[in-house]
Amino acid sequence: MTQKPLELILARNLMSALSTPAFLVDEGGLLVFYNEAAGMMLGKRFEELGTVGAEEWGQLFGPFDEGGEPIPYDDLPLVAAVRDGRPAHAELEIHSADGVSHEVEVSAFPILTAHGSQGGIAIFWPTAANGGGAAA
Amino acid sequence: MKVKLWGTRGSIPSPGPETIRYGGNTSCVGVTLSDGSVLALDAGTGIRCLGLALGDEPTRLHILLTHLHLDHIQGLVFFAPAFRPQTEIVIWGPASPEASLRDRIARYISAPLSPVEVRELPCDVSFRHCPETEWEIGPARIRAASVAHRGPTLGYRIDDGDSSLAYIPDHEPALGADLDRLEDDWISGLGIARDASLLIHDGQYSDPEYAEHIGWGHSALSHSLAFARRAGADRTLLFHHDPMHSDDFLDRLGEEAGERWQALGGEPGGVELAAERAEFELPARVAPAAAAPA
Repeated sequence: MTQKPLELILARNLMSALSTPAFLVDEGGLLVFYNEAAGMMLGKRFEELGTVGAEEWGQLFGPFDEGGEPIPYDDLPLVAAVRDGRPAHAELEIHSADGVSHEVEVSAFPILTAHGSQGGIAIFWPTAANGGGAAA
Repeated sequence: MKVKLWGTRGSIPSPGPETIRYGGNTSCVGVTLSDGSVLALDAGTGIRCLGLALGDEPTRLHILLTHLHLDHIQGLVFFAPAFRPQTEIVIWGPASPEASLRDRIARYISAPLSPVEVRELPCDVSFRHCPETEWEIGPARIRAASVAHRGPTLGYRIDDGDSSLAYIPDHEPALGADLDRLEDDWISGLGIARDASLLIHDGQYSDPEYAEHIGWGHSALSHSLAFARRAGADRTLLFHHDPMHSDDFLDRLGEEAGERWQALGGEPGGVELAAERAEFELPARVAPAAAAPA
């Protein structure tokens, strides 16, 4: 049995304690964890869904652009962050398991280590029009 | 495989009448492989006595460093074999994006902290970053895994024949994690500890003490026991004793550890506290009892 890269383990531990929806992918782009806050937004806990690839994720939740069109996999911030080794940001829309749309801003960044890229993290924020932004 | 504990203390050497039985030297474990090859796990102050015990032999040594905190490297400049020109020493350790292993160690083995520089060591010394994949030293297969501590830190697993040693002296696997619920591959260090003949693991804090040291990179007794239970090692030694822990305190902690281990369903004697100069000859792994035929 081989453990996950330590950086992913520590990222998951941190994300578990956050109240901001956060997603974790491995170096191959596989979604390996999301936290309770993300589960509430998606209407499905990670423990129910389990590890999924991009295709299945897209079928379940999108994401979609402003016109409602599916965003190509390669254009997703998290995919771009892992691929390019640079942070990425976008506004997009996802559909939760119960069909509710959520407009969110996504900030993604790669997890770079002494042994190269180990994956990436994406944090979802409601857009300002949907209650996001700084607290008063 | 033979194992001898030359330093079991964490953080800082703690000599004195109150630490005689468990010892005051910092982390160092000597390992003699089945072909007689010698490895040192960490180079805390305990490695000084290991060096004296080795005498003029062997002429080739491997030192596997878990990380470069001072309590794990402080003995390097007092390791007698390093001052013999006929000795070849290979020092393994974690990679860092900041600087090479040699350059990071040289910060300690250099003025004004040290009377000698790395380049002045008479021995033939080389420095190697541990690979991500298994490698061999003599008859042993070695694996290193990054583990949860402060800064780049490794745990090691050494397999020699049918016996295996896992060494994770500085480890806080429960930081932000529930060791009873997480899947195996999401637990720091578990991959190298699984089913080891002997697991040497961080046991720095009692549970009440840990509450004041969350995030310092070490385990509470509850975490050490939970990790040991998940690992399923034949035997576990709690290691890296806090410098504030006297022999009497450690006696009580060891008693509590044994009772709680058995309450978790463990075998008597399955968890003990590491004591300096203790020796172990690791037998082949005890195979689980076969299920009775239906």
